[in-house]
Amino acid sequence: MAALSNLKQCPPFSTLPDLALRHNHIPELERYPQINLNSELLANPAGQRFYGGQSFVPVDESVLKRITRTFFDGGFWESLEEARSPKSREQAPLIAQAGDLIARLLGLATGLKLRIFPHTQELSAERIAQFVETRDWLNSDVRFLAWNCHFFNLAVAGVDDVVRIYYKNSNAATATVLKSPTQTQITCMAWRPLCSTEIVIGCRQGLCFWEVDNSLHLGRTNAPSKVFKHPANLPVTSLQWNKDGTQLATASIGDRSIIIWQPDNGLMQPLKRLGPPGSLLKWSPDNDWLFAATVDRVFRVWNCNQQWTTERWVCGPGGHVQTACWSPCGRFLLFVSSTEPILYRLQFVQQSLLSSSADEKEILPIADLNACSIDANRTLIGGPAQQLAWDPHGNYLVITFKSTNCIAVFRTFIQKFDLQISAAYYLSGETAAEHPSFICFQPLYKDNDRSVLTIAWSSGRIQYYAFD
Amino acid sequence: MSASSSSNACKLLLLGRCLRAVLLSVAIQFLLLTVFLLSVNFQLLHPLSWVTGTLRLVASWYTWFASIPLVASVVLYGVSLCQQHLSERPYCPTRYRWLLHYGPRKLLLLGAHLLVGFLTAWLYTGYLHTDYQHLRYKCYGQECISAYHVYLLGMGITAGCYYFVSVHMRQEVSIEFPIVEQTRGEKLRELLYASLARSLVRSLLPTLSYTLVFWLFGPLICHRLSHILSVDLDERLEGFFGVATNVRLLFYGYLLTVQILSNMHLMRCFYGMVLSEDLPLVVSKQRAAFAHEQEVTMVAGLGVFNVYVVQCLAANYFYKLALRKDSPQRAEIFQLTEPGNRPANWRTLCDQCLSILGSFTEELTESMQKISVLNGAQSLPMPKISESITTSFMAEKLLMRQYNQMHGIRPIVSPRREDAVDRPADGIRHVPNWCERVSKQLEQSLQRLAQRVPGIVYLFEEPEGAKTTFLLANSLPVVYLTQALAQICVASLKEDPYGVVQNDLPAIIKAINKLRNELEKLSSVIGNIKVPSSNFNVLRCAVRRSLYAICNSFCDYLGDILPPGEELRQLQALVCQE
Repeated sequence: MAALSNLKQCPPFSTLPDLALRHNHIPELERYPQINLNSELLANPAGQRFYGGQSFVPVDESVLKRITRTFFDGGFWESLEEARSPKSREQAPLIAQAGDLIARLLGLATGLKLRIFPHTQELSAERIAQFVETRDWLNSDVRFLAWNCHFFNLAVAGVDDVVRIYYKNSNAATATVLKSPTQTQITCMAWRPLCSTEIVIGCRQGLCFWEVDNSLHLGRTNAPSKVFKHPANLPVTSLQWNKDGTQLATASIGDRSIIIWQPDNGLMQPLKRLGPPGSLLKWSPDNDWLFAATVDRVFRVWNCNQQWTTERWVCGPGGHVQTACWSPCGRFLLFVSSTEPILYRLQFVQQSLLSSSADEKEILPIADLNACSIDANRTLIGGPAQQLAWDPHGNYLVITFKSTNCIAVFRTFIQKFDLQISAAYYLSGETAAEHPSFICFQPLYKDNDRSVLTIAWSSGRIQYYAFD
Repeated sequence: MSASSSSNACKLLLLGRCLRAVLLSVAIQFLLLTVFLLSVNFQLLHPLSWVTGTLRLVASWYTWFASIPLVASVVLYGVSLCQQHLSERPYCPTRYRWLLHYGPRKLLLLGAHLLVGFLTAWLYTGYLHTDYQHLRYKCYGQECISAYHVYLLGMGITAGCYYFVSVHMRQEVSIEFPIVEQTRGEKLRELLYASLARSLVRSLLPTLSYTLVFWLFGPLICHRLSHILSVDLDERLEGFFGVATNVRLLFYGYLLTVQILSNMHLMRCFYGMVLSEDLPLVVSKQRAAFAHEQEVTMVAGLGVFNVYVVQCLAANYFYKLALRKDSPQRAEIFQLTEPGNRPANWRTLCDQCLSILGSFTEELTESMQKISVLNGAQSLPMPKISESITTSFMAEKLLMRQYNQMHGIRPIVSPRREDAVDRPADGIRHVPNWCERVSKQLEQSLQRLAQRVPGIVYLFEEPEGAKTTFLLANSLPVVYLTQALAQICVASLKEDPYGVVQNDLPAIIKAINKLRNELEKLSSVIGNIKVPSSNFNVLRCAVRRSLYAICNSFCDYLGDILPPGEELRQLQALVCQE
């Protein structure tokens, strides 16, 4: 079993002034967009966003009129809040008392409902942060990164609920901005395969589909082309397109079923199974399998060939599957639990002709991720893993951790029936406090077949690292 | 096998499936009856006797005999649904032609809906309290007509009628393929839960509306019925409060509506479910002596133009086959014949697909020429040239006019008469003789008169974009076909050992690109015509994706595949945009 203790130090690639001396330097990286989301957020903070209401001067209204207006503006709950506000209490105490009574009755009813159906409680941002792959999702400047499958387009979702699309040689000023009131608390994104301009964003409101046209370079687009809400009005926490872009699988940490959407005609089909709500979805590269983790120990692997069938698995003691990734060949799945610092492997290879398909799969621990010190300063690396990323060539596996700040890189050797893994080196940020928030590999394009790791650091800086 | 024999073989196969759907529909009647009885006989304190009593009632001789009429009506319903699915769907340009062709079929279906609704209500009332059970009852020693019973029977008929109007009246029955293939048991379970849950909400409006109508006209109907049956009138449901305060009756009415709507929805879905199952098609026929005579090839299935369902199933089969990597059927497409070494499988398949794609595109182009907004944008009259205006002003004016035409914005002032009349190019004014003039005026005035008669235009004139709407509503085979063809082309890079596909690549790319261009044109005016947007979106996205998939895979060879020109430039721009 591989262990972190054998990791070697990688040259501090980002600090060397001379490009030629940098370990991973390739000329193409110079054309990659230089992104520092922190400085962009400081320049355009969310607080400075324009909302129509700011330009209007408030007027004096009677209490009833105000409550009625609030009802039509913001709905029942807001009008109830308005009825109980100090201003209403001062002007019409009877109405405020009636509002208190109604609120108390509704509170009792809601409490009773939550006791019977505990899973129907509203999902807080803290709870979402617990299950997404991004480290410190609540406060991280970068919440998600998504590379276009066919062109050099990088979508960066920020903490300000804005998605910026960067192109080659672009910068903050020329990036396309996708922003909408129906797109808050972004948890996941994906570019649609076989469609160069469509991106879907998973957020609290559901799914926002955007058509990103080159003509949008100059200004901001006005609205998403489509918005799909989760049937139970829940936030979408994970989404994945199938390889031909016809089906979109989504999961929500408040819903037990996985939903398979056909966005072109707006149809969807829930895949219902008893058990805890889903948290993470990963479609195998050739779409034969769909890995679906839940918020509990249970996870499922769906066989998507012909009729969809599922196999139920349970991971180690306590916790849930924190992150998972498929090998580029689609024969191996690696995953880690949120509590155990061990990397597991699930194999989908028929080892002998006579064995039945059910017997083939077994879970094997392949790497020990227990924390260990890596230098004289006793800098630690390891512990429970945060995110996994496998390079498109299948030669490197990159792991980030929940509590330590360095990134571990393993070398992988994929054989027909076996997978070998060995510790390679580690990467660290510019400062000791800087930790990776999100990592992903750039897909291989026609003009670039090198594996490029994209790292979003906690400082808002985005860094590219090219592997051999 | 000829086209007609393939069509007959497929129809026979589908008839067998329809029979299965009818059996399922009959079985579901007893399940729904059990649910109804469990709801109306609910006993909180004696759950065991509640369940056993209900089951005993369902299994009783009375139920078996009383349900015979309902079962017969369900069979009739199934037959009419089967006819809707398997009959030919020609395009009817005017509403009159539509009425002539589809009217009798729709009437039969309406009759089946009313019958199922009425008989369900009749059967279910038999299990209710004696007040609701019979049309006549004893009140104060005299025979009276039961208003409760009339209300419930009317509720059944209304529910049937409501379902027909909301689902079947305008739309043709369509086949829907499941997004995810699941086992039949899972499908049935999902369908049952979803139908019952959906009907609980959907039944509220018809129940309330019917109750309102019954409050207004119920006494009149009861009065008429009492006259016919020579019995006394029931006064229990007279007045608003008589109806509104009878909670039990309203509950029974609501429950009945839920049952009938679920029943009809389930029957419709059963047909969709069994018909959308894969057809046992083959890529090429076995030449061996023991080969099955009745087997239908995929190409023959695609050529069954008179049964839309068969064409959809064949196209879906082709699409699934194209997606299945390393499958022997997909490899069969690229194989050569033995002896002869000819790519017969690919040849017939490619020709059939290109012919379907080409004819669809042609029909679409032709139909789009009748859309005035699109047509007008192409044949815009040039603005009048005067010496005082500049070229840029002219260009701006022309662009503005194009924009207005494209978005259906009409000019505030109607064009002047002399502008509309085409003047002869030679400048010589041809003066018609008085006879021609009079006959022309007479003809115009007759046309104007005919158009003023109410209903003439509505019945006998083709609505704008009707053909386009029809084509898009029946475009499912083209959706699957395009994607399947693209997948096969992409797979041919690795799997086609003899290069049988590469000769046809230019034709395939051109056909798909032509369709894409037409759909792009249509997208600018799609809001102006009554096209179901989902059908258009599905087709447009499928065509775009397919073209992208082919061009992306053959990106390096596009210059060799296509001759230099606008088309090549377009496609290179599609895959190389950055």
